[in-house]
Amino acid sequence: MAKELINFNNVRKTYSIGEKTFDALNGASFTVNRGEFVVILGPSGAGKSTILNLLGGMDKATSGEIIIDGKDISKLSAKELTHYRAENIGFIFQFYNILPTLTVIENVELINDIVKNPKPAMEVLKGVGLEMHADKFPNQLSGGEQQRVSIARAIAKNPLLLLCDEPTGALDSQTGVEVLKLLKEQCRSGENTVVIVTHNSLIAEIADRVIRVKNGKIRSNELNASPKNIEEVEW
Amino acid sequence: MLKRKLFREIRINLSQFITILLMVMIGVMAYSGIEAYMAGMTKAADDFYGKNNLEDLNVLGEGFSKEDLDEVRNLDHVKNAERKLEINVINSDNNDKGFLASFIETNEISKFYVYEGKAFDPESKGAWVNKYYADANGIKVGDIIRFKYDTMEIEAPIEGIIHIPDHLYTLRDEAALLPNFEEYGFIYLSYKAIPEDYLKETVMKKMGLRDESVLKTLMPDLNYTELIPFNYIMVDVDDKANTESVKNNIEDNIESAIAIIKSEDTASYSRYQGEIDEGKGFVGIFSGLFLFIAILSVITTMTRVIKKQRIQIGTLKALGFTDSAVQFHYIGFGFWVSLIGAALGLLLGRFFIGNVFMGLEMDFFEIPNNGAIVELKSYIVALLVVLGISFVTYLTCRKQLKENPAETLRIELPKVKSGTLGFTTSKVFRKLSFAVKWNIRDVIRNKIRTLTAVVGITGCCVLIVCALGMLNSIDNFIKLQFEDLYNFNYKLTLNQGLNRDDVNSLTDTYGSFTSKTLGIEIKNASGEREANSVFVYDAGDKIRFKDKDDEFMDISRDDGVYITVRLAENLNLKVGDTISWHIYGSKEFYDSKIVGFNRDPQSQILTATRAYIESLGIEYIPDAIYTDMDLSGQKDIKNVEVVQDTESMKKDISGMLEMMRSMIVIIIFVAVLLGIIIIYSMSILSYSEKQYQFSTLKVLGFEDSRIRKIFIKQNNWIAVAAIILGLPLGRALTGFLFTICLEDTYDFSTYIHPLTYLVGAAGTFIVSFAVSLFLGRKVNSIDMVSSLKSNE
Repeated sequence: MAKELINFNNVRKTYSIGEKTFDALNGASFTVNRGEFVVILGPSGAGKSTILNLLGGMDKATSGEIIIDGKDISKLSAKELTHYRAENIGFIFQFYNILPTLTVIENVELINDIVKNPKPAMEVLKGVGLEMHADKFPNQLSGGEQQRVSIARAIAKNPLLLLCDEPTGALDSQTGVEVLKLLKEQCRSGENTVVIVTHNSLIAEIADRVIRVKNGKIRSNELNASPKNIEEVEW
Repeated sequence: MLKRKLFREIRINLSQFITILLMVMIGVMAYSGIEAYMAGMTKAADDFYGKNNLEDLNVLGEGFSKEDLDEVRNLDHVKNAERKLEINVINSDNNDKGFLASFIETNEISKFYVYEGKAFDPESKGAWVNKYYADANGIKVGDIIRFKYDTMEIEAPIEGIIHIPDHLYTLRDEAALLPNFEEYGFIYLSYKAIPEDYLKETVMKKMGLRDESVLKTLMPDLNYTELIPFNYIMVDVDDKANTESVKNNIEDNIESAIAIIKSEDTASYSRYQGEIDEGKGFVGIFSGLFLFIAILSVITTMTRVIKKQRIQIGTLKALGFTDSAVQFHYIGFGFWVSLIGAALGLLLGRFFIGNVFMGLEMDFFEIPNNGAIVELKSYIVALLVVLGISFVTYLTCRKQLKENPAETLRIELPKVKSGTLGFTTSKVFRKLSFAVKWNIRDVIRNKIRTLTAVVGITGCCVLIVCALGMLNSIDNFIKLQFEDLYNFNYKLTLNQGLNRDDVNSLTDTYGSFTSKTLGIEIKNASGEREANSVFVYDAGDKIRFKDKDDEFMDISRDDGVYITVRLAENLNLKVGDTISWHIYGSKEFYDSKIVGFNRDPQSQILTATRAYIESLGIEYIPDAIYTDMDLSGQKDIKNVEVVQDTESMKKDISGMLEMMRSMIVIIIFVAVLLGIIIIYSMSILSYSEKQYQFSTLKVLGFEDSRIRKIFIKQNNWIAVAAIILGLPLGRALTGFLFTICLEDTYDFSTYIHPLTYLVGAAGTFIVSFAVSLFLGRKVNSIDMVSSLKSNE
C-alpha cells in the first residue's frame, strides 16, 4: 500500500479584505501519496494557489489540519515553518523567481546556505541540461532555461515535495513540455513528490492524481489509472 | 478621478512621500533660514545706518573749537558735521558700573532711534540711555541717573531709551572682550548738561587761578560752553565715494585733528560687519550643502517612486488617457509634495533658523527692527526646487510614456548587465559568502541609488565633522591664545597719559614685563591708509610668539618689524619688504623692514621690540604690565585701569564664542535630522526594491535574521564608505571655512580632535545602523504570497 505523504484535512483559509471576509478555502480535504505526480486543477480564484501556499508553509490555515509526512504543519510557528520550507519544500514559480544578480550556478549553490546535505550544484545543473550556462546571469538565458534554473534550485535541496505554481504559465508550449518532462522524470526517479497547480487541464492527463478545486472546495480527488506520456498529449 | 488617485497613491506610499516632503523642507529651511538671518542682519544695519544717518568719519582730537567745526563743515563734499565730547564716567550709585557718556550739540548725525521717551532736545538737562543697559538694570523713562567724572557729578532724569547707529557694539575698554550691558552702557546728554562750575574749575586749574573773580576780570565775556573740550567731530560726507578725499582734507587742514577714522573702521561697525562677512561664507557653504544633499536624495527617491508606477502608467495609457494627462497627473506627485515641503521650509527657516540666529546675534548687538527676512532669492530658490523636482518627475514619467502601452503593461524584467557584473564571477569572488556577493552585485546594479545614499550620508558626516571641528578649532584657539602665547597670570592695563615715574613705581612692584600698543595707520599697496597697530614688546617670556608653522619663535631683531602671517598675505608682503606707517596724531611716516612673520590667532598687526621703536625716536612708556603675582581680589591699583587674569579672559572669550557654539549646535541638529531622513529614505527605497528577492529567499527557507543581515550589511557598507569620505572632507571644509570665512583679524588653524572623528564616524554609523535595524524588522512581515505575485 502506498504511503500517504499529504493529508489536507478540512482546511479553511479566510482572508479579510477591509471589513469583509472571503473564504479562499472552505473545508478542503484531500490526500496525496509519496512519489505521486499530482495536478491540482481549477479556474482562477478556485483556491488552488492557496492550497500550494499552505502546503509550502508560506501561509497559515485558519482552521483544519495539514499533515505532511506525519507532521501537522498548521501548528508550526513562523520559525518552524522556515525550517520546514528549507528542509522539505522545493518551489517552482510561474515567473521563476531566480535571483537576477546571482549566476546560474550561484542560484543553485544558494541552497548550500540553508540545507545540510544538498545535491552538488553542477550535478543538478547537468540533470536539467544547463551545465554549459553555469556562469551566466539569468538575463542571458531564455524563459525555459530560467525555469530550468528554478527547477535545479528546487531539486538541489532533495525536497520531500516539489511545489510548482503554473510552472509552464510563462513559457511557450514546446518549452513547457520540456519543463514538465523534467518534473516528471524527477518524480519517476522516486526522489520527489510533485504537486503542480495549474488551470491547464491538459497537464492533468499526465498526472498520477488529479485534484479538482472550485470555490474553495475540493470537487474531486481522483487517481489516474493510466497517465499519458508527455509525448502523447497534444499541447 | 485622477486627483483622487493622486491623493490615494500619496496616502498608500505615505512614508516615502513624507521623507520627500521632509527632505525638501529641511533643505529649503536650512537654505532660506541662513539666508534670512544674513539678510536680516544686513538689512537691519543698512536701514539703521541709512535712516539714522551714521557718520562717515570720526575726527578725534583733544578740544575742537567752533572754528574747527565750521572749517570742517566748509570743506568740499562735507554735508554736515557735529561735535561731541565722549568720556567714560562712573555710575555714582554703583562704582562698578559705568557709561560711555556723550555730550552733543545737535543730533542730526548718528541720530537716536528712540525706543521710549522723547527725541533729543539740546535744551534738556536729561539723559538718553541705551536700551540694553536700561533693560539689564530696570531703568525706565523718568528715573534719575547719577554719574561722575573727575570732580564733576551729574544727576539727570532719563528722557529716553535709545539705540544709536555708531554704538551697535560697546565694550567698556580695550581689555574687555564682550559687552556687559549690566555694568556698562552709553548715555547721551546735551552739552548744556555739563555743569558750568566744573568747566570754570577746569579752566581755572589750567590757568593756575584760585579766585573766580580773577577769571571774570581776565575773561569778562567768557561763554563757558566754549570751554567744553569736544574730542570728536562726526562728519557726514555727501557721497561715500568722497570719504577718502574728505579725510585727506581734514588731515591737511584741521590742526587739532589727531586721528580720522572711517566709520567702517570703528569697532562697532567692523564687528557687526565681521559677523555678516563670516556669515556669508557659512551661508554659501552650509545652506548650499544642505540643499544639495536634500535635493539629490529627493530626486533619486522621486524617480524610483514614479518608476514603480510603470504598470499604472501603461494602464492609463491603454485606457486612452493622453500622454499630457498622464504626465500632468504624475508631475502632481513631485509638485504638490515638494511645494508643501518648500513652503514649510520657508516658514520654518525664517522662524527656526533665521530668527534664532538673529536672536543669538542680538545678545551682543544693539540694533532696532531686527528680524530675519526671507528675501526674494529664497522664494526663487524654493520655487526652483519645486520646479526641478517636478521636472525630474516629468522626465521619469516621459521615459515610461515613450514605450507603447503593451510594453509598459508588461512586467519590467530586472536589468542585469552581465558585462558589468562579469568580474564578480571570478575566482576571488566565488569564495565570498552569498550575502557579500549578492550585496556587491546589488550595489553595482543600483549605482545611482547607492551613490545618492553615499553622497547624502557623506554630506551629513561632513557637516557633523565640520561643525564639531569648528568647536575644536575654537577651543584650540583659546588654548593657543591663553596657554601658549599668554604666559602670565595677570595683565595690568595702565591708565592713559602716565609719566615714566608712574610706570616705574608700578614696574618696581609688579615686574618689568611690559608692552605698549601704538595706534597706527599703514599704507597698503595702492597707497590707501588703513588702521592697524604696532605691538611693542618688552615682556620677556610672559608673551610668547609662534611662527608660520606653529612653532615657538623669538621676537628679537631690533632692525625692523614682524608682521602677522595673515596681514602679510593681505598686504602681499614678504620678509625683506618695507612697510610704511605712522602713529595716530603724528604725521611722521616710518619705513620699516619686515624681519619676520608671526602667527596671531586674533589680531593681525605689526610687532616690534622696544629697542627698535626707541631707535626710531619713539618714546616707550608701557601701557600694560604682565605678572605672575597673585592679584586675586585686587581691583583698584593706582594708575591701573583694569586688572585681568587669564582665566577670566578665557571665560570672556568662551562667552563670546557661545553664540557661535549655539549656531553650530543648531547646524549639527539639522544635519543629523537630514541625515536620518536621507538614510531612512534611501534604505526604504533599497528595501522596497529588494523585497521581491527577500521574499524569494524567505520562500526558499532563509531565516528572517539571515535576510535582515544581508540587508543591513549593504547599508553598513554604504555608511562606512560615507564615513571614509566624510571624515577628510569634513576636515577640509572646516579648514576652508576658517581660511575663507573668518574676519581678516582672525587666523585660526584647523584643529580637529580625534574624538570628533570618532563621534562623526560613530554618529553616522549608529544612525545608519539604527535605521537599517528598524527597516530590517520589515523582513519578518514580508507576505511571501503577495510579494511573489509581482516580479521585481
